[in-house]
Amino acid sequence: MNSATAAPTGDEQQFDTVYLNSRREAVIIFGVWVVCLLWSVPYCYIFGYPPGDAEFNPDTFSTIWGVPSWVCWGILFPWGASNLFTIWFCFFYMQDDDLGEAREGVDLAEEIAERHAAEDGGAGR
Amino acid sequence: MSGTVAITPILAAGSNAALITFLVYTLAVFGLAAISNQLLKSKSFLSEYFLGSRSLGVWAFALTFAATSASGGSFTGFPSKIYSHGWTLALWIGSYMVVPICAMGLLGKRINHVARISGSITVPDVLRDRFHSVAFGVLATLLIVFFMTFNLVAQFKAGSTILRTLLSDVELYQQAVAGVAQMTADMPVLSEVDPGYLICLFAFGVAVIIYTTYGGFHAVVWTDVMQGIVMVIGVLIMLPLAIWQVGGLQHATDEMAKMTPPRIGTVTLELSEPQDGVFALPAKTWLTAPGAEQGRRLFRVAENTSIPAGGTEIPDVSVVEITTPEEIARISGQLERDPRTDQLQVPYQLSAINVSEYVYGAGKRGVYVVGPGPHKSSSDGFLPLSLAISFFFMWAISGAGQPSSMVRLMAFNSSKTLRRSIFTVTIYYSLIYFPLVVIFCCARILLPGMDSTTDRIMPEMAVVLTKNIGMLWLAGLLVAAPFAAVMSTVDSFLLMISSAVVRDIYQRNINPDASERTIKRLSYACTFVVGTGAMLGALNPPQYLQDIIVYTGSGLAACFLAPMVYTLYWPRANAPGVIAGMLAGFGAHLSMYVAGMFMFEDFFKNVRPYQLFDFDPIIVGLFVSFVTVYVVSLMTPPPPAEIVDRYFRKSNAKS
Repeated sequence: MNSATAAPTGDEQQFDTVYLNSRREAVIIFGVWVVCLLWSVPYCYIFGYPPGDAEFNPDTFSTIWGVPSWVCWGILFPWGASNLFTIWFCFFYMQDDDLGEAREGVDLAEEIAERHAAEDGGAGR
Repeated sequence: MSGTVAITPILAAGSNAALITFLVYTLAVFGLAAISNQLLKSKSFLSEYFLGSRSLGVWAFALTFAATSASGGSFTGFPSKIYSHGWTLALWIGSYMVVPICAMGLLGKRINHVARISGSITVPDVLRDRFHSVAFGVLATLLIVFFMTFNLVAQFKAGSTILRTLLSDVELYQQAVAGVAQMTADMPVLSEVDPGYLICLFAFGVAVIIYTTYGGFHAVVWTDVMQGIVMVIGVLIMLPLAIWQVGGLQHATDEMAKMTPPRIGTVTLELSEPQDGVFALPAKTWLTAPGAEQGRRLFRVAENTSIPAGGTEIPDVSVVEITTPEEIARISGQLERDPRTDQLQVPYQLSAINVSEYVYGAGKRGVYVVGPGPHKSSSDGFLPLSLAISFFFMWAISGAGQPSSMVRLMAFNSSKTLRRSIFTVTIYYSLIYFPLVVIFCCARILLPGMDSTTDRIMPEMAVVLTKNIGMLWLAGLLVAAPFAAVMSTVDSFLLMISSAVVRDIYQRNINPDASERTIKRLSYACTFVVGTGAMLGALNPPQYLQDIIVYTGSGLAACFLAPMVYTLYWPRANAPGVIAGMLAGFGAHLSMYVAGMFMFEDFFKNVRPYQLFDFDPIIVGLFVSFVTVYVVSLMTPPPPAEIVDRYFRKSNAKS
C-alpha cells in the first residue's frame, strides 16, 4: 500500500501524520455509513412498509431469487456496494502508517516518578 | 423437498454429537491455553496477559474482533427474532454492511497509535494517559466493572442455557441431572436451582475460567479464532441445506407471504382414559380440536409436561395455535401420512382454550415478508421507522464504542494488519448475517409452531437439517456455533474486568511499585475470582437478564464512544470535558430507563425504556455525550500544550 501522504498545509503542518491520516479516513468511513443509512432505511420504508390499511396481495408481491425485492434493493444491493467500497478503501486508499514502537511501561514509570517526586517534595518541606 | 419434510423432535443422536463436539472443543481450548501460557514466560507479563504484546496478525485480529462482537445473541437471539418477525430482520441487521469498516476503521489506527505512545494496556489506561487525569481513568474503570459484571453474569447464564439445550436428550446428561437433583435436594440454595442448568453452568464456567485464567489474552484470541471458524462453517453448511430442504427460497418466501401470526396461550388436555404410568406430553406434540365449519384447530405444545399415573387432565398446557389455513392443511397432511410422529397415540380432547392474538399483524397476510413485522404486544409492529434508524445507528456506530472492541484495536501489530482485517471481517460478516436471515426464514416453514420457544430454534434447526440428509453427527458442529459465540464473548469480558481491577485499580492507584511477580499472581487470582463470582451470580440470575444485556451494551457505548472519539481526534478536548461527557452519556441513557419505569405500568413485566422521539436510549445517550464533551471542553481551559504535542504533533515538533 502506498505510504505517501498528501502534504498538510498551514497549521496542520506540525500535526502527526498518523493523526491526520486516521482523521481523514474516519471522516470518509462515517460518510459511507451516512450514505448507507440514507439509502437503506428510506428505500425499505417506502417499498417494504405498506400503509396500515393496504390489503396485502401475495400474488403481486415481488421477489428477486426468492428475496423480497425491497430487501434485495434496500439491503443486499447496498451491502454488495459497501463491500466493494471496503475493498477499494482497504487496498487502495487507507495509508500504511508507521504506528511506532510501543513504549511499554512509560505511563506507569512516569507516575511512579511523579509520586516519588511529590513524596520527596513533601518530605523536604 | 418441502413436501417430504418430516416434523420430528430433536433426537438423542443429535445431542450425542453435541456432547462429543463439546468435549473435543473443550480439550482444544485447553490446549490453546497451555500454548499461550508458554508465551507469558518469555514476554512482559501484563502487556502479554492483557494485550497479547500488541502482536496480533491479520487472522488472529480479524477473527477475535469478529467473534467477540458476535456474542451469543447472534446465534440465539437473532435467529429467534428472524423466526418471530420474518424478513424485516434484514433491515434490522442491515447496518452490518458497514459494521466492520465502522467498528474497526473509525477508531482502530488512531487508538492503537495513542496506546503505543503512552504504553497503555487497557482502555482506561488510554483515557487516563491522554489527559493525565487519574479521575478520568478511575471513572472509566468503575463504569467498565459496573456494566461488564452484570453482562458477564448474563453471558454465563446464556452459555449454560445453550449447553443445556444441546445436551437435553443425552442419556449420560440425564443420569447426571438425576444424580445432581438427589445431591442438592437438601442444600439450601442449590435445591432451588434446576439441576440440569447447574451442571451446564458448572461445565461451561469451569472451562472458560480455566483457559482464560491460565492462558490470558492469547488464549482468548486463539480460541476466538477457532470459535470464529466454527461459526462461519456452521452457517455455510446450514444455508444450502435450509434452502434445499424448504424447496427453494422462492417457495419459502411465497409460503411466508401467506402466513398470519399464530395465537399463543394455554389449553387443558383431557385424556379419555386414565393411564397406568406417568403420561408424558412432550414439547412439539401436535394437538387438534374441532374448529368452525367442520375444520379443525391445530396446536403445538410448547413445553414438556406430564400427568401422574391414573390422572386424566393436564391444565394450562402452553401451546401455539397455527392460524394460516394453507399451513394447517400442509401440516395436517404430513401428520396423516406419518401418524406416529409428534402426535398423541391415545384419545383426548381439549378444553379451556385460552389463546391470544398478536397485537400487530393478527389475521393479516404478508406481515412476515414486509415491514414492520408482526408483534405480540406492540401496536407499532416489530420495527417501526424510528427503531429501524436506531438499529442502523446502534450496530455500526455504537459497536465502535464497546470497550471490548477498543482493547482489540490496541492489539494489532501494524496498519497493514488493520487494513487486511477490515476486509476479512467484512467478508466474514457478509457470510454470516444475511445468510442467517435466509436460514431462519426457511425455519418458519420447516419448523412450524415454535413461536413460544424461539430461543431453541438454532439447535432445533441444526438437528432437523442434518437429520433430513441422514447426517445427524453434523448437528454437533452446527450447534457448536452458538456455544462458541457465547464462549468468545465471556472470555473477553472476563479478561477486561480482570485487567480493570489489576492494572487500573491496583497497579495504577494502589501500588505502582508492585513487582511483576505480585502482578502476575494477582492477575491469575483476579481472573479466577471474577469468573467464579460471575458463575455463582448466575446460579440465581436476575429475572430480566436479556434486558440487562441490552442495557449494558448500549450503556457502554453511551459512556465511552464520545469521550474516546474526542480523545483521539480533538486536540482541544480536556479532562473536564471528557469526564462530563462520560457522565452525561451514562446519565442520559440511564434516565430513559428510569423514565420508562415511571411511565409504563408493565415495566417490570416487559422492560422497555422511554423512547424520546421514538428513538432508542442509545441515540439519546450518544447525542448528549457528544454535545457535553464539546461544550464543557470549550467552557474550560485548554489542555496543557505538552500533552497536545505528545499525542498530536510530529516527533520532531514535539522535541
